[in-house]
Amino acid sequence: MPTTLQGPSGGPLPTEAQAAARGAAWESALAGGQLPEFVVERLQAAAQGRLPWLSTMTPAELRLARSHGIKPIATVSGTCWYQYGRSWTEGHAAGWRAALQRLRAEAIVCGANAVVDVKMRTVHTDLGASMDYTLLGTAVRMEGLPASPDPVVATVPALEFVRLLEMGIVPVGIAVGARYQWLTGYLGYNDLSTRPLPTLGEFWESVRRHAHAELRADAARQGTGVLAHTQFSQLLRQEVDKQPPNYLGRHIVIGTVVETRRGDGVPHHLQTVVDMRDDVSPLLNKARGPAANNLHDKEGGI
Amino acid sequence: MADTQDPIPQHALERMKGLRSQNNRGGVFTSDFSVNEFLLVRKAGFEPVGLCVGSCIYHVGVQYGGWSKNQEMTVLSQAMYQAREHAMTRMREEARDMGADGVVGVRLEVKRLEWDQNILEFVAIGTGVVHAAGHTAFKGPGGAPFTSDLSGQDFWTLLHAGYRPLEMVMGSCVYHVAHRGLFKTMGSVGQNVELTNYSQALYDAREIAMERMQHEAIRVQAEGVVGMDLHEGSHNWQPHVIEFFAVGTAVTPIAAELAASTIPDPQLVLSVNS
Repeated sequence: MPTTLQGPSGGPLPTEAQAAARGAAWESALAGGQLPEFVVERLQAAAQGRLPWLSTMTPAELRLARSHGIKPIATVSGTCWYQYGRSWTEGHAAGWRAALQRLRAEAIVCGANAVVDVKMRTVHTDLGASMDYTLLGTAVRMEGLPASPDPVVATVPALEFVRLLEMGIVPVGIAVGARYQWLTGYLGYNDLSTRPLPTLGEFWESVRRHAHAELRADAARQGTGVLAHTQFSQLLRQEVDKQPPNYLGRHIVIGTVVETRRGDGVPHHLQTVVDMRDDVSPLLNKARGPAANNLHDKEGGI
Repeated sequence: MADTQDPIPQHALERMKGLRSQNNRGGVFTSDFSVNEFLLVRKAGFEPVGLCVGSCIYHVGVQYGGWSKNQEMTVLSQAMYQAREHAMTRMREEARDMGADGVVGVRLEVKRLEWDQNILEFVAIGTGVVHAAGHTAFKGPGGAPFTSDLSGQDFWTLLHAGYRPLEMVMGSCVYHVAHRGLFKTMGSVGQNVELTNYSQALYDAREIAMERMQHEAIRVQAEGVVGMDLHEGSHNWQPHVIEFFAVGTAVTPIAAELAASTIPDPQLVLSVNS
């Protein structure tokens, strides 16, 4: 076991010039909406079985994947570091969509049919009004299927992916809806009043409905339905000297897009069991699935 | 009370008297398994031998990245890599000394000592196990004990998926994310734009960590890496310095390979003990 640090694929560390060349390759690749040559090579080698596969699957998922003819190929990712100088809300939508695009690009190079177990991640650093939007998942190949020109992106783990497929439901992608709006004015209440505030209520309802409409439109481009697992909303008040206050409402909703037919049956029987796993059990762990804490709400104007 | 016969088996009574050490290599076993984990490791055909620990206290030191440069901080990468490797090697040596075939449930932790922020403590701890029937084919590369960060439950499942663990593989990369130039920053104030040099830095760092891990998997001739995860961390470094750490268990098919069709289809269940 070597205890000195090696270069990425063994051997000596890259020289400064080699590291700079690598940086330049990333730069031109990202600018051109492509992947650098060395990433393409690695992913293709993994697809052909010349490199060990890398999978985020648990052994239970690997077991089910094997029995259902699903082979892991490589861990694929998409990252976009986005500055939301103008709009925090719209920045989130744009950031996640760009990351999804890049994740798909890696999956295509792998010759994958699907990416499963896609997780939303972000690095927690304070670099101004910006954050990184990262998607990470395992590209898989289904036995007997040719490589897909447009692999499906499933935010569910491999276990659930297989179950959904058996039920005729295909998770195909991620949809985002985001909306922010301003409201200015006195709401006409005082400390003693007990009554609804229709102006604010209608405003807030409109923000949410717009976000949901955008989610629906984004989902319609990809599939027949969307399961919205992440919802985030904020209603903020900004005081203005000797003027009516401003209200900012913002709402973001993110979901897994599915392709399914109405009224399809569920072919499985349910059995009730006592689970032997400890605290990490996927049966008991409610936080499983796309993380909900991937919205960075510390920064950003609107 | 005094005249009731205790229904405790003879061997259990003897064990409580400390007389059963001849059946257990090294006497009493120690393990941090939960009860369920213990049952499933035993169901998989293995017996715990003892807790194996390896630790390494490392003065990580300081490295400054060029202000406007995306670059790997090789001094820090080297420190993080070597320290983890030392801790793992020492744990593996202890496992070998107690005659274990492998170590399951390995936790690899990094802790900071409060009186010096440049000193990090790396600890690897897991339970050494032996095959109950004495099969030696489960050992890791080169006849050394295998290592795996899978829990006892996952270990059982992995064997039933037709794979055995070889080695816990890892790759780390400490990376300096370039600061953006003043003019660039001013030009994009108030805009919604991608900060491509940041995106690029994350891609490069993650790619390096992943490639290093994959290279370790190649070295132990693994078919693949299961349960892989990527952690991002900043061990009290400057805000622009990030570590990507890739870790997973390298696996290989069990010699007499299970036909995929013989894997029983799991049933859908609803847990009632929540």
